Amino acid sequence: MSIVPKETIEVIAQSIGITNLSPEAALMLAPDVEYRVREIMQEAIKCMRHSKRTTLTASDVDGALNLRNLEPIYGFGSGGPIRFRKAIGHPDLFYTDDREVDFKDVIEAPLPKAPLDTEIVCHWLAIEGVQPAIPENAPLEVIRAPAENQIYQQKDGPLIDIRLPVKHVLSKELQLYFQKIAELTLSKSNPSLFKEALVSLASDSGLHPLVPYFTNFIADEVSRGLNDFLLLFNLMHVVRSLLQNPHIHIEPYLHQLMPSVVTCLVSRKLGNRFADNHWDLRDFTANLVALICKRFGNTYITLQSRLTKTLVNALLDPKKALTQHYGAIQGLAALGHNVVRLLVLSNLEPYLSLLEPELDAEKQKNQMKSYEAWRVYGAILRAAGLCIHDRLKIFPTLPSPSPSFPSKGKGKVISTEPNKRKLGVDSSENRSPHKRLIATDGSDGGPSPMQVDRPTGDANPPQNSVRPSSSEQASDGNAPESRNAKEKDGSKGRAITRKAILDQIWKDDLDSGRLLVKLHQLYGDRILPFIPSTEMSLFL
Amino acid sequence: MDPEQVDEFVMGYLKKKGFNNAAKQLQEALHHNNGGTFNSTDYHNDPELTKLIRSFSQSENDPTRYRDGYSKLRSWAYNSLDLYKHELLRVMYPVFIHCYMDLVGKGHTQEARAFFNSFRKDHEMIHLRDLQKLEGVLVPSHLEEMEFARSLRQSKVNIKICQYSYDLLLQYLHRTESTLMLGIINEHINFQVYSGQPNSSSDDIDAVTIVGSFQETADHINQKEIQWGLLEDSLEDRLEKTGSLLSDSEKGQGESKDGDVDDSKKRSNEIGKQGSSLKKLKKDKAGNATAKVARQETSIVSPAPRVKPELALPVMSTDVEESILEDLRNRVQLSSVAMPSVSFYTFVNTHNGLNCASISHDGSLVAGGFSDSSIKVWDMAKIGQAGSGALQGESDTNDQNVGPNGRRNYTLLLGHSGPVYSATFSPPGDFVLSSSADTTIRLWSTQLNANLVCYKGHNYPVWDVQFSPFGHYFASCSHDRTARIWSMDRVQPLRIMAGHLSDVDCVQWHPNCNYIATGSSDKTVRLWDVQTGECVRIFIGHRSMVLSLAMSPDGRYMASGDEDGTIMMWDLSTARCITPLMGHNSCVWSLSYSGEGSLLASGSADCTVKLWDVTSSTKLTKAEEKNGNTNRLRSLRTFPTKSTPVHALRFSRRNLLFAAGALSKPAS
Repeated sequence: MSIVPKETIEVIAQSIGITNLSPEAALMLAPDVEYRVREIMQEAIKCMRHSKRTTLTASDVDGALNLRNLEPIYGFGSGGPIRFRKAIGHPDLFYTDDREVDFKDVIEAPLPKAPLDTEIVCHWLAIEGVQPAIPENAPLEVIRAPAENQIYQQKDGPLIDIRLPVKHVLSKELQLYFQKIAELTLSKSNPSLFKEALVSLASDSGLHPLVPYFTNFIADEVSRGLNDFLLLFNLMHVVRSLLQNPHIHIEPYLHQLMPSVVTCLVSRKLGNRFADNHWDLRDFTANLVALICKRFGNTYITLQSRLTKTLVNALLDPKKALTQHYGAIQGLAALGHNVVRLLVLSNLEPYLSLLEPELDAEKQKNQMKSYEAWRVYGAILRAAGLCIHDRLKIFPTLPSPSPSFPSKGKGKVISTEPNKRKLGVDSSENRSPHKRLIATDGSDGGPSPMQVDRPTGDANPPQNSVRPSSSEQASDGNAPESRNAKEKDGSKGRAITRKAILDQIWKDDLDSGRLLVKLHQLYGDRILPFIPSTEMSLFL
Repeated sequence: MDPEQVDEFVMGYLKKKGFNNAAKQLQEALHHNNGGTFNSTDYHNDPELTKLIRSFSQSENDPTRYRDGYSKLRSWAYNSLDLYKHELLRVMYPVFIHCYMDLVGKGHTQEARAFFNSFRKDHEMIHLRDLQKLEGVLVPSHLEEMEFARSLRQSKVNIKICQYSYDLLLQYLHRTESTLMLGIINEHINFQVYSGQPNSSSDDIDAVTIVGSFQETADHINQKEIQWGLLEDSLEDRLEKTGSLLSDSEKGQGESKDGDVDDSKKRSNEIGKQGSSLKKLKKDKAGNATAKVARQETSIVSPAPRVKPELALPVMSTDVEESILEDLRNRVQLSSVAMPSVSFYTFVNTHNGLNCASISHDGSLVAGGFSDSSIKVWDMAKIGQAGSGALQGESDTNDQNVGPNGRRNYTLLLGHSGPVYSATFSPPGDFVLSSSADTTIRLWSTQLNANLVCYKGHNYPVWDVQFSPFGHYFASCSHDRTARIWSMDRVQPLRIMAGHLSDVDCVQWHPNCNYIATGSSDKTVRLWDVQTGECVRIFIGHRSMVLSLAMSPDGRYMASGDEDGTIMMWDLSTARCITPLMGHNSCVWSLSYSGEGSLLASGSADCTVKLWDVTSSTKLTKAEEKNGNTNRLRSLRTFPTKSTPVHALRFSRRNLLFAAGALSKPAS
C-alpha cells in the first residue's frame, strides 16, 4: 500500500491536536500524503537542479514549499547535514537530535571566525587540447601515450594506422617553474626560498613533464660545477626532492641521474675551497644513493651490483685519492650491512695496511692528507662497527656471565665521552650517538688540537701491524684492552664448545664472532663502543 | 437483432473506453436474447464469441487479471524469437504503465502497488524517471491531477514495428484470449507497421515516441517553415568581405559601414512598419552580398541562407564592431585535430551557495549568482594583471567597488530577495541580467555597479535569462511554464510563450534572433518564433529534464543537454535528433559551440569538460544511413577537473574556451 502507514497519519493528527481522526480517514489520507510528499520532492529536485547541485538540501525543500505557497519548515536552515538518530527499540523510527541551547552560552561564546570570502582562481584546464599536469588539474594516471589517438584513427579508417609523433608540450607555467627552480639552485643566495622550492619539488603533483629537464639540468650542472661545493649540494638536494615526490615517475631517468650522483659521492675533488665541507656532501649523497637503491633495486636488479662495483673499484684502487675512498666507503656503508660485510670487511685488512702510513701524523708531512686519512679511517671504522653491531644484535640475549665486564665496557665508553663532546662541538655535527663516537675517532689524528687521544691514536696502529697472530702479546701497557682481549679469547673458546653442542645454525654467529675478533685485531678498542654490552660480555 | 448488429455492437464495445458498463449491458442484452425467440442460436452456434463474452463477464473488475495478463504477455515476449524480441519488448512499457494506471483508476491501490513493484525492474533502465513520478500515483484523483499521468492517459504511443512482429503479437493476443491486454494495446498504442526486416535494436530513440495526440500536434507544428539561416549582413559576412577586400582601400570599407549604420538607423526608426523602400534597399543589399559571396566561392564552401531580422535590432557602435571584427579575424580555427585551450575559473569558498556562473563574451568578466540573493562580478582582466601599468588607470576609476575593508576584489550586486538562478552578460559586457526565485529579473550595469531596472512579470521563480546575441532583447523562462521576451527599455514582457507542460528550465536565442529555444522539465525542447510568439518546433527525445541548450553559429543545429548526461544534437529544419552524444554521467549544466561550429563543449556535474566533434556527427549521418552502423561516440577529449562541477562554458570570439565552476569537496 502506501509508503506512509496510517499510524503515521494518526500520530501526526495527534501531534497537531486532532484526536478524533477515524481510522478510515487516516487510511484515505495516507496515499494522498505520500503523493504530496512526492510532489514537493519533485519541486525540490527542480530547485536543486537550478542551484546546480546534485545533493538535495533543506533549502531546496523550503524552496519547493515556497513554490506551493506553503510555509517553509523552520529549524533546518543551518546548511549542515541533518543527523538522524535511531530511536532505541524502534527499528524504523528516526529523530533529529535537537539540543536545547542556553541563550547565555550563545551570547558569551566567542565570535566564530569569519568564513573565507568567495574568490575565483584561474588556471588552464587544457592548452590546445592537452591538459597540463599542474596541481590545479586532476592528476593524470600516466603520461598519456598516443594510444588514444591511434584507436581513434583506427576507428575511422581501419586501413590507416598513422602513428602521430609524440608532441611534448610544456606549459608556460611549467617552464616558468623550471626556470625559477634552476635559478634558485644556481643562485645559492636565498636558502630559505630554496628550501621552499625543495618542498614544492617533493610534493607537487604536476611536475612529471619536467623530470627530463631536471635530469638534464642536474647532469649538466654537476659536470660543470665540480668546483662549486654549494651548487653540488643544492643539486643533490634537488635530486632528493625529486626522488621523494610520490607523483613523479623518475625510473626512466635514473640512468641519466646516477652518474651525477655517483660523481658527487666519489669525485676526487668537490669544491675548491678549503672550508668546503665536502664530507657532508659525500655523506648526504651516500644516503641518496642508498635511497635510490632501496626504491629501485627491485625493478633494476643490476643497479645495486653496478653501483657497488664502481664503489669497490674506487675503494681498492690505491691510486685514487683518499676523498674518493671516503666516498666509496660511505656509499657502501649506506647500502647496508650486508654490503659492508661482503665487500668492505673482506678487504679491510689490506686496506687498513694501505691506509696506515697516511694515518701517522708524524710520518705524514701533509697535514691535510693526514686529516683525510683519519676521516677515511673513521668512516671505515664506523662502517665495520655498525656492521658488527648489526650482526651481534641478532644474538639471543644470554644471561651475562659476570657483571664486571659490562661495567668495564661502559667505563670505556664513558671515558671517551668528554672527548667526544668537545669534538662534537668542534665539528658542529649533529649525529646519532654512534656517529658521534666515530667522529671522535675519525678526527682523532686530525689537525684539530686533539691531544687527549693522541697517545691511543699513535699507539694503536702499530699494534695492529705488529700483532699478526696473538692478541695477548701486543698489549703494551693498555690494561683494559688486554683484559678484554683475554676475555674475548675465552668467549671464542666457549663459542666453539657451543658449536660442538649446538648445530650448524650457529655457524653464522660464529662467523660474526670471528669477525669481531678480526675487527678487534684491526681496530683495537675502537670497535668496542659498537658492541652492545651483553654481546660484549659474551665475546670479549 | 440480427447478427450484423450484434457484431457491430461488440466491436463498438471493444472500442469503448468505459469497459464495465458495456459488458453489463451486453450481458443483459444476452439475457434478453436468450429469452427471446429469434437469433439466439447465433451466439450459441458461435462458441468463440460466447467464450469471449463469458470471459468479459467473469473477469470483470478483477484486479488480478491485469497481473496475470501482463505477466503472461511478458513471458511470451521474453521467449519470442530473438530477431523480433526487442520490438515486442517495446510494447511492454506502455502496457505496463497503463495496466498500473487502470488499476489505480479502479481504486485497487494495493494491487496496483504490488503490480508496479513486481515489474518495475524491467523498465527502470530506460524509464526510471517516469516510473519515479508514476510511483506516487495512488488514488484515482491523482491521475487527474498529475499532468504527466493525464497526458499519458489521453495520448497514444507510437511504436514502429515490423509486419511479422505485429502479426505475432496479434496472433498471441487472440490465441490466448487476453482481451484485457488487447484492449490496452488497442487503446494506447498506435502501431506503425512497416514491411521488411525488423530494425536493429539500437535505434530505438524514435522507435518509441510517447504522447500520441501530443505527437500529432508536434508533427503538425514541426511542419511549419523556419528560417534558420543567419542574418544577412552579419558581422561574419562583413569579415569575409573585408577579409577578401583587405587589399582594397580602407575607404571603401568605411563607406559600406556608413551605409550599414544608416540602414540600421532607418530600421530602428521604422519599427514594425517595414516600408517597402527599405525592403528594396535590403534586397539590393542582399543582391550585392550574394554577388560578393559568389565572387569568393573559393573561400566559402556552402553559404548558409541569409534571413532578415524580424526584430528591430540595436545599433552597434563602430568601435564595438571594430573590436568584434578584430576578434573574428584573430579567431583560431578549431577542428578535431586543432583543440582549443580551456581556461578554467574555479570559485572557491562558495560554501555551497553558488547557483550559477556566467562568463562574458570576451571572458574577462565572470558573474556568480548565489543562493544568498547576491551576485558577484569579477573582472578577471584586473585580477590577472593587477600590477601591470596599462590597466592601472582603469582600475583606479573603478576603485569604488572595493569595499570598506579594501580586500574585496569583486563587485557585489545586491537587490534580489531570493536565490539567484541565472545571470547573463550583454554581448559588450556592459550589462548583467539576473533572474531569481523572487520572480524578478534585474538589470545591472557593470560600469555603474548598480541596479538599473527590475522586470516583474513572471509569477514564479525565473529559472533562466539570456541576452539576445545582439543585446537589447532578452528572454527569460520560469516555473510558471512560460518563456517571455523582453526588451531592456520596457518593464513589461513583449511576448509570452506558453505551451510547455512543465517548468521551462532553460532558454537560448537563435543566432539570427528570430527564434528562441526553450528546454523544459516536460523533456521537450521547443523553438518559438519571437515575432509571432508561436511554437514552431517541438523536439522530443530527451528522457529527463532539459538543462542546457546551445545553438550552432550557423543556426542550423541545436544541442541540448539533460539531467542524465545525454546531449542531443537536433536539426532545426527537420526537428529530428541527429545523434545523441552519450558520455556524461551526470547533469549537463552547460553547452557551447565553438566560433565556427566545428566543436561542441559540454560541462557537467560529473566534473568534466568534454569536447565533441560535431562536424563529423553531422556529416556522418549520411554515411551512417548507407552503412547502417552507428558510431555515436564522437567525444574528442575529456578534461577532468579536480572535483569541480562545470557550471558555465563559453567560447570567446577568438575560440578560447572559458569554463567556470565551484570547487566542491569530494564526497568522502
